[in-house]
Amino acid sequence: MSTTFCSTQEGPVNALALNKDYTQVAVGGRNVFKIYLIEDDQFKEVYNLRASKHLGTSFSCNDVAWSSTDDNYLATAATNGHVCVWNLGKMGKAMQEQDYQEHKRTVNKVNFHTSEPNRLISGSQDGTMRYFDIRIPSAVAIFYSNTESVRDVQFSPHNPYNFASVSENGSVQLWDVRKTDRHQQQYTAHSGPIFACDWHPDVSWLATASRDKTIKVWDLTNKPTLEYTIHTIASIGHVKWRPQRKYHISSCALVIDSTINVWDVRRPYIPYAAFNEHKDIASGIAWKGDPESFLSTGRDCTLYHHSFSDADRPASRANSQAISLNNKGEILYAQKIIISNNIATKSAIGLIRKSSTSVPPDHFHQAASLLQNYLKNTQQNQESKTFLCFAKNYILSGRSLSEMCDHNAAVAIEYGKLPIATIWRIIKIMYGEEFLQNSEIHASRNRENSMTGLVTPLVGMDHLTSDQRSRDGDTPVAQFSDETENEDQVDHVAMYNNGFPTYLNYRTGLPKGDFSFGENELDMEFDGIGSDFRNGYRSYQPIHPTQQDWTLPSEAFPIRHEIMDRSPPADQFPNHNSPDIHEDPLPVVTSIHEPPQGLLTVRIFPSRAAWDPGNILVEALKHHASLGDIQTAVCILIVLGEQRKYLTDLDESIQEQWLLGYIELLTRYQLWNIVTQVIKLSWIPSVSHLSQQSTRINTNCSKCNKPLQRIGWLCDKCHSSEYALCSVCHQVVKGLYVWCQGCSHGGHLGHIQQWISKNNTCPTGCGHFCEYR
Amino acid sequence: MFEAQEINAEHKDLIHDVAYDFYGQRMATCSSDQYVKVWDQSPDGKWTLTSSWKAHSGSVWKVTWAHPEFGQVLATCSFDRTAAVWEEIVGETSGPAERGNRHWVRRTNLVDSRTSVTDVKFGPKSQGLQLATCSAEGIIRIYEAPDVMNLTQWTLQHEVPCKLPCSCLSWNPSLSKIHPQMLAVGSDDANPANGGKVFIYEYSENSRRWMKLETINTVTDPVHDIAFSPNLGRSFHILAVATKDVRIFNLVPDSSDASGVTKLDVQTVAQFDDHGCTVWRVCWNVTGTVLASSGDDGTVRMFKMNYINSWKPVAVLKGDGSQVPSDTNKTVQSSNTPILSSISQTARYIKLGSITNPREVAWH
Repeated sequence: MSTTFCSTQEGPVNALALNKDYTQVAVGGRNVFKIYLIEDDQFKEVYNLRASKHLGTSFSCNDVAWSSTDDNYLATAATNGHVCVWNLGKMGKAMQEQDYQEHKRTVNKVNFHTSEPNRLISGSQDGTMRYFDIRIPSAVAIFYSNTESVRDVQFSPHNPYNFASVSENGSVQLWDVRKTDRHQQQYTAHSGPIFACDWHPDVSWLATASRDKTIKVWDLTNKPTLEYTIHTIASIGHVKWRPQRKYHISSCALVIDSTINVWDVRRPYIPYAAFNEHKDIASGIAWKGDPESFLSTGRDCTLYHHSFSDADRPASRANSQAISLNNKGEILYAQKIIISNNIATKSAIGLIRKSSTSVPPDHFHQAASLLQNYLKNTQQNQESKTFLCFAKNYILSGRSLSEMCDHNAAVAIEYGKLPIATIWRIIKIMYGEEFLQNSEIHASRNRENSMTGLVTPLVGMDHLTSDQRSRDGDTPVAQFSDETENEDQVDHVAMYNNGFPTYLNYRTGLPKGDFSFGENELDMEFDGIGSDFRNGYRSYQPIHPTQQDWTLPSEAFPIRHEIMDRSPPADQFPNHNSPDIHEDPLPVVTSIHEPPQGLLTVRIFPSRAAWDPGNILVEALKHHASLGDIQTAVCILIVLGEQRKYLTDLDESIQEQWLLGYIELLTRYQLWNIVTQVIKLSWIPSVSHLSQQSTRINTNCSKCNKPLQRIGWLCDKCHSSEYALCSVCHQVVKGLYVWCQGCSHGGHLGHIQQWISKNNTCPTGCGHFCEYR
Repeated sequence: MFEAQEINAEHKDLIHDVAYDFYGQRMATCSSDQYVKVWDQSPDGKWTLTSSWKAHSGSVWKVTWAHPEFGQVLATCSFDRTAAVWEEIVGETSGPAERGNRHWVRRTNLVDSRTSVTDVKFGPKSQGLQLATCSAEGIIRIYEAPDVMNLTQWTLQHEVPCKLPCSCLSWNPSLSKIHPQMLAVGSDDANPANGGKVFIYEYSENSRRWMKLETINTVTDPVHDIAFSPNLGRSFHILAVATKDVRIFNLVPDSSDASGVTKLDVQTVAQFDDHGCTVWRVCWNVTGTVLASSGDDGTVRMFKMNYINSWKPVAVLKGDGSQVPSDTNKTVQSSNTPILSSISQTARYIKLGSITNPREVAWH
């Protein structure tokens, strides 16, 4: 197996050439002219012709060629116009057998004939090509290209008399060596200078490489026809076909890109293989006669031996798939089509070109993608549909909180979202107008507490909360454990979907407006739930010997009795609202049923502020938000209105994030009216300011071009309002002014609407077919 | 469940990326054939090609839409070592209700990379017009258009070195002001010895630099795609990673540190090897509740989080299109008339007055 190895030179290398057995390599450059023996894993220097004293200092090698018939003969092309022939069989000064000083400018290329010995051709910047017999000290034929400069010249491997030349004006010329007066064929191949060409070893194809960043493959069997075009990222300096691979061609760039790429001409977009070893521009490529290894030189002063097994395959890292989801739940999916070897499939698809039989199976060039759009069926498209309907049908303002909650709950039920309906109902219960009175009382009591230093110590609160939570958790689990499997997840869903509405039925049985957290009602309610809980609850009765209905202001306000400051335990049940709570551990529960424990609990019941459902609500909202249901969270917050101030646990930054999230979502569905409504109802300054940004357009006076700062119809400078007249009634428009963007005439919205319903043209008679949208 | 509708994209090589626009009504495709195509969806759900142009001189890896607030703007990145920003120009309409001649023009070409640019993404719109690119040489570049009305001027704001070749990046789309800007970058480096392949960067307002917050060391296989979940109301971030399997991470910011440097608690919350092979892409729905992934097995798999915060596979779509039903008619929800787009179609205005504050653009 061949390996990749390299040898460093004294200076930049411009060209390389292999002998006919691919055992030795000659490299030439500005300060370099050496011959190496190619070994398995290294280069071994055999000659350093640069070291010979006889070489002039001006010598800089542009190209090197090795005779394909005689291993002893080498030719070099120099920047000073010299073409030299070297005989390695001789020693010392005699090695330089010929020195043709015929070209007037730089020689770009030398090329030995593929079959005839001693025949050599050169192409120069002076626009000529000279044909040499290396035994004769002057050119035997001169070909005038009639172009400014010849960049490459190559003998055809298919016809002993033909050669091709390419020049900087973008044309390709085909010559017969026997006809020196005129080229056989000429055609323009590129829009920029052509820097290189290469004959295909097997078929009559010529590849050309140009500054226009393309490699083109021409079929020259009859008339030159363009077979393939490879688009590259930089000007191409050299091209060489890969041996034994009909469609593969290697290239290196003249600027920018130091990679050597091997392309499959059938897939002209992405390199089949890439070699990134060079640190600077590569200047030459020479294949070792087999498709697996080649040599290259570079401006980075290196000579590399590359092994194909070490190649980078850019296409293999390329992403062959793509997906995208949109707000309607549709999916776009693009994937590579896998084309099997099956001939039947091949003919069915009709995509494959016949490839030569010698080539092993290779599907690199068969690159095509299938793009599919998965549309959700209407029934399944619930999520976005529900979102849209909720967004459109929810009432967020303008009614009383209870009414809005009722309406929104009805909307939710209509679309089968019972949990959301339930939340709306609970909001109504907790924050409805009926409760408002109580909350104010609590608030005032809180204030008094803090003033008199009776605020509950934090530790005590924590005890209380966890205790209560655990008891809360008991209720639903106990209630539904029969119906559900013991899987957390199932439990959860069951509770959420079934349990809660069932529970709610107890509530709805109550007369409206009668709700309070007083003990009587609770008692009554929990009668229906199960004696366990009631017992547990009853154990608290000693705490509240007085059966006061503390919704009465007369008692709530002036009396600051110790008992009054205690928390009524009734706060328990709305906790069901928050699904998180059910995950709390339950071990404490059993102890509660025992009266002594209950009495113990009394002692850690310090005087406590009135129950605030805020925490629970916040938990619930956060839960919904984390499930992606930002709509519910935001709508509840909006509907709560002023009641939001009780949600002390909800950070303003979170509220802002939610609002912005909901607005973005609405925007995606292009529900501009609802977006505006949400912004208008928003209480966070940074959000409500959204509608005030960039919504103002200051116009300038049409006469004096000064901005109309005060009012839109009167210019302060020229005291004229003639440009604010309505085209229909000729009065100054002081309200909504509508105008045609085509002819700039306009007027009162109503007048223009009326006019345009009957006429097509402008009311001023300017003849414009107006367009009011 | 789903109905597959095949779109004949007529790209001459592999399609590397598809992207819906913000409203889900347009799509852009890009391919190795160096072309970018833009498609519009008709109300009956059919896609029609409205623009197609040669965008690069190499494979176009990614295409991405800017927020429509900035106009109809696309960014592409390519094997040709450049990234480009494109804007749609609507020609003059000759009559009412007639759509103008539209074409896309290159507004800028970002040529700073010396290797293939592997991903390009617009930043969150709250930060204006920002563009992040990452390249095979392992450098993340952040560009900014200081004037959102002028897309021809982009300044390279930051060059963040990442020690491995980058293959994909994702902005954290969080809308919360308390979350600093965050980027996640994945590397397709194949050597497991090089450690974690997912890097999290955060912009520090204090030092005005992008700092590496975290390397997710549990991902040592090549990463092909990475996607932050849309964060509409969470306090933490969810990151999906396409590597040899699908991974989902919760990134929980811990702001208890008083130094102002965010600490991230990275929790692996799900790992699915349902594809059984290399996973190429991950993509979130708009609310961040459903993750879709695609892999070499030719399927799209969808994952959803249930009520107890655990992720479960919910759907598998076969990509071969073999069971494509012929009838794919679908009614698309009617939406309010896109007022702004209708305005933008009328390209030329007669000057009645000049707008005094051109930098303020209408938000919507």
